Amino acid sequence: MSRLRLVGRLVARDLRRRPAQAALMLLAITAATATLTLGLVLHGVTSQPYQQTRAATRGPDELAYLGSPPAVGLRSGSVGPASGTKLVKQVRSQVAALDRAPGVTAASGPFPLAGALVRANGLTAGAEAEGRDEAPASVDQPKLTAGSWVRPGGVVLERTFAAGLGVGAGDRITLNGRPFTVAGIAVTAANPPYPNLCYYSGGGCRAGPPDPGSARDIGLLWLTKPDTLALATPDNPVTTYVVDLKLKDPATADAFALPYDKNFGPPEMISWTGIAAADGLLVQDEQQVLSPGAWLAALLAIASVAVLAGGRMTERTRRVGLLKAVGASPGLVTATLMAENLVLALAAASVGLVAGWLAAPLLTSPGAALVGTPGAPSLTVPIAGLVLAVALAVALAATLVPAIRAARGSTVSALADAPRPPRRRPRLLAMSRGLPVPLLLGLRLVARRPRRAVLGAVNVAVTMAGVVAVLTFHATAGQQINGGGSGLSDPVYNRDEQVLLVLTIILLTLAALNAVVTAWTTMLDTRHLAALARALGATPRNVAAGLTAAQLLPAVPGVLLGIPLGIGLFAAADHGGLITLPPAWWLAAAVLATLAAVAGLAAVPARVGARRPTAEILQAETA
Amino acid sequence: MTEDAALLSCCGLRKTFGKDAGLVRAVDGVDLDVAAGETVAIMGPSGCGKSTLLHLLGGLDRPSGGEVRLAGSRVDQMSERALARLRQDSVGFVFQAFHLMDELTAVENVELPALLAGRPARVARQRATGLIERVGLSERAGFLPAQLSGGQRQRVAIARALAGEPLVILADEPTGNLDSAATLEVLRLFESLHTAGQTLVVVTHDSRIAATADRLISMRDGTFIDETRLTGGTRGDPGALGALADLDRRS
Amino acid sequence: MQQEVVLALLAKEPSHGYQLRARLRQALGPIGDQMNAGQVYVTLTRLEKAGLVASEPSAGLPDRPDRKVYELTPAGQQRVADWLAEVSWPGPAPAEFHLKLVAAAAARLADPLTIVDAQRREVLLRLRDAQRAAMAEPDGSEAGLLLEGLVLRLQADVHWLEACERHWTSRRD
Repeated sequence: MSRLRLVGRLVARDLRRRPAQAALMLLAITAATATLTLGLVLHGVTSQPYQQTRAATRGPDELAYLGSPPAVGLRSGSVGPASGTKLVKQVRSQVAALDRAPGVTAASGPFPLAGALVRANGLTAGAEAEGRDEAPASVDQPKLTAGSWVRPGGVVLERTFAAGLGVGAGDRITLNGRPFTVAGIAVTAANPPYPNLCYYSGGGCRAGPPDPGSARDIGLLWLTKPDTLALATPDNPVTTYVVDLKLKDPATADAFALPYDKNFGPPEMISWTGIAAADGLLVQDEQQVLSPGAWLAALLAIASVAVLAGGRMTERTRRVGLLKAVGASPGLVTATLMAENLVLALAAASVGLVAGWLAAPLLTSPGAALVGTPGAPSLTVPIAGLVLAVALAVALAATLVPAIRAARGSTVSALADAPRPPRRRPRLLAMSRGLPVPLLLGLRLVARRPRRAVLGAVNVAVTMAGVVAVLTFHATAGQQINGGGSGLSDPVYNRDEQVLLVLTIILLTLAALNAVVTAWTTMLDTRHLAALARALGATPRNVAAGLTAAQLLPAVPGVLLGIPLGIGLFAAADHGGLITLPPAWWLAAAVLATLAAVAGLAAVPARVGARRPTAEILQAETA
Repeated sequence: MTEDAALLSCCGLRKTFGKDAGLVRAVDGVDLDVAAGETVAIMGPSGCGKSTLLHLLGGLDRPSGGEVRLAGSRVDQMSERALARLRQDSVGFVFQAFHLMDELTAVENVELPALLAGRPARVARQRATGLIERVGLSERAGFLPAQLSGGQRQRVAIARALAGEPLVILADEPTGNLDSAATLEVLRLFESLHTAGQTLVVVTHDSRIAATADRLISMRDGTFIDETRLTGGTRGDPGALGALADLDRRS
Repeated sequence: MQQEVVLALLAKEPSHGYQLRARLRQALGPIGDQMNAGQVYVTLTRLEKAGLVASEPSAGLPDRPDRKVYELTPAGQQRVADWLAEVSWPGPAPAEFHLKLVAAAAARLADPLTIVDAQRREVLLRLRDAQRAAMAEPDGSEAGLLLEGLVLRLQADVHWLEACERHWTSRRD
């Protein structure tokens, strides 16, 4: 018990003596654990909002599309779809079959579907118009969030579509050239929100857009039945009617099908689970972005901690010697050395857990498409355990080896406090001789502690990978949006952008932290060298430039490595979808910005270090 | 000695550390004139401020008061850049702890100041080789400090101090970390430097080193308390040495 | 017993013989104990004969050397002053030099520090000569060995003189 108290006292005193370093390590681990928690929690988020919308709108268990057979990429004018009286006859017959079908408890419809070209706010977009009665339907009655339901001349827009267009209740828009007033805004559980309307039907849509374009960008709106039928043109007739069904057992929705009718093909059936999945695409995208981001952040945090812990280890060698000289066992010594880092890691992990859990709802709000918010994503015990374990593992990994080495090393040499002399690297030394003074100093500094240089390069590479991944995302998504041509803001893109922004900020903060930490520890390590150089006649400017160069030299390969790494990261997260490489000047700008940041962050400790009076440094320490 | 003849001089030099109750007057009003070619030894108990004084003379530290002049220019008022140039070609330092770089060979250590001053690599190497020879370590030019004895390391450090052809060499307890045999090596070197006309200011508590000086100054509590001229005496007087040998003290 | 030492001890004030002996014992410690008891009185008698000290029997006590009161004559004072000021080579034996300083301080006739510094200068000059001679010898020569021995002993003298300086400085402060 007394030994525990002793260790505790030593740890407390040490933390008080170096609060800045402790704070830095806390920050690094907190950021990493927060990001990890976010990623893990979002993984398990459920699609609750869809359920709420389903309940509020009396959402259907099954949708039946009657009329034309499922058309992949159907465009107006092609042969095949029935229209006019032939269509009506087909629809009547299929409705009757549906009514008779076992398991159906309620039905509403059939509602005609027409393609419409919407012009509003100077924007143009394709839309699917559904014809409805003014009276509420028994199944799938969209819930109004603003204004009122359809009326002659009045159109109700789906909420995300309205947000994309930037219109609200009372605004005036045109459909296929005819003027309409926006009567209201509503949400529905019967269709995925804009722009995912066509996702689940293999990329095609039942109501083809009048403007041949991309498979996204189709919005949903409701009109009165007469208004919908009036939208039809000879080029683009009404070819489909939709019926909403409620089943006795919603779980069987996927298997529901009508018996074969030799007269017409079976209607296309969409179950509510498919729509739920399409709904979830928004959050799924976020997860895709967050997971690699979280691991990147964790990597950077590990690098930070390694540098911090490694730096402190060399300072602690004398303490080790002292403890052993007064009789502490190697085990106790190791415990003392590691207890401090473990305490910090635990504290940081707890803070990070809470921070990540609090931040998760911000990212999982379902956007405009659905009502309600998800319940607070559950911070399950396994998640908390995993995050704590990772934090401890990070602290352990970074400190265990040096701690054991310190504890088992010779007491005498520890007391003599001689850090390991740097290995001689003749090639680097020879290379540096002809260079200008800052590069000469920088190269020799790198040669002294190559492992730290490698760590610095890794840090820069990881950061660069994150930045390049973000740039690739922008290039790829921008290509897709631009291909659509409507100019509407894509909520998925917006949300992804938001998440990426948050992630990028976290990454950049961690990276900056890393750079400052590395530069600071390097400055402390090389304080004696810098003082000696100045005593031998190097100007303070050259010495500061040399210290900066020592950080920049490993940053160059890091930056170059980060580019393919980032592109690969995005490709992996995108699950092999088509990606567009960012333009060369974006990459060049990123490279220059990163290198400038590294140089800038290194310059501050370099300047501070170069200013201390040489005399006291030289007297205090030996090389 | 007149003001103009002094190569290195200081007047009313003061350096204080800390404040209020913790105020320490490391150097408290020191006047010193060192002529060209002179060897001056400063002796005193530890903590008397002699190392601080040396740092002030060489521009490694800024005084709290007074002035330091080297070859006519005010050292205490120089910018950091000018001080760097000073250390490149006017002042050479020798430290008690040698302060050699462990991963550089002897000759690489000696050429370092020239490289740091921006001189071409070949010129620096040539000069370094010559200096290594001057201190008598030609066969060990390619050795690392860990492979050299204490005396040899300090000789390398002295060669390094000579790299810029300095006007004055300031040595801070050069034999402090050396045993008597190594002290002898350094002694010989100092004597030969003295004979060659190098100006030397040595801070030491070793009377053997002090005995090589032209002037010996005693320092205590930040001020000079005594100055002894060690010129003249019994040089070449055979009788004196004989008397020494008969050193059977009556008790 | 060096005559000058006894003279110097009397410089402060006249003393009895036994007081002188006590003073010597205090200054010399265990080394003083080894002195022959009669040494002091023999010296005192010689000094009296030489006219450097004068004695008076103390009232009521028998006429024995240890009971007499001794004091310096003017000639004796002059002799003490000369002795304190002189710096010769080879220097005095350690005990004698030590007593010189003790007496000078006690009688306030001279500053011990001045004496120490003067002696140190002399020793340093000899050290320099011996050192030069030693370094002029080739490595491993026998003469060089002897010279090295001289150097080391002189260096030891310097160390002791530095210790004396520290002691007498603190005594003064």
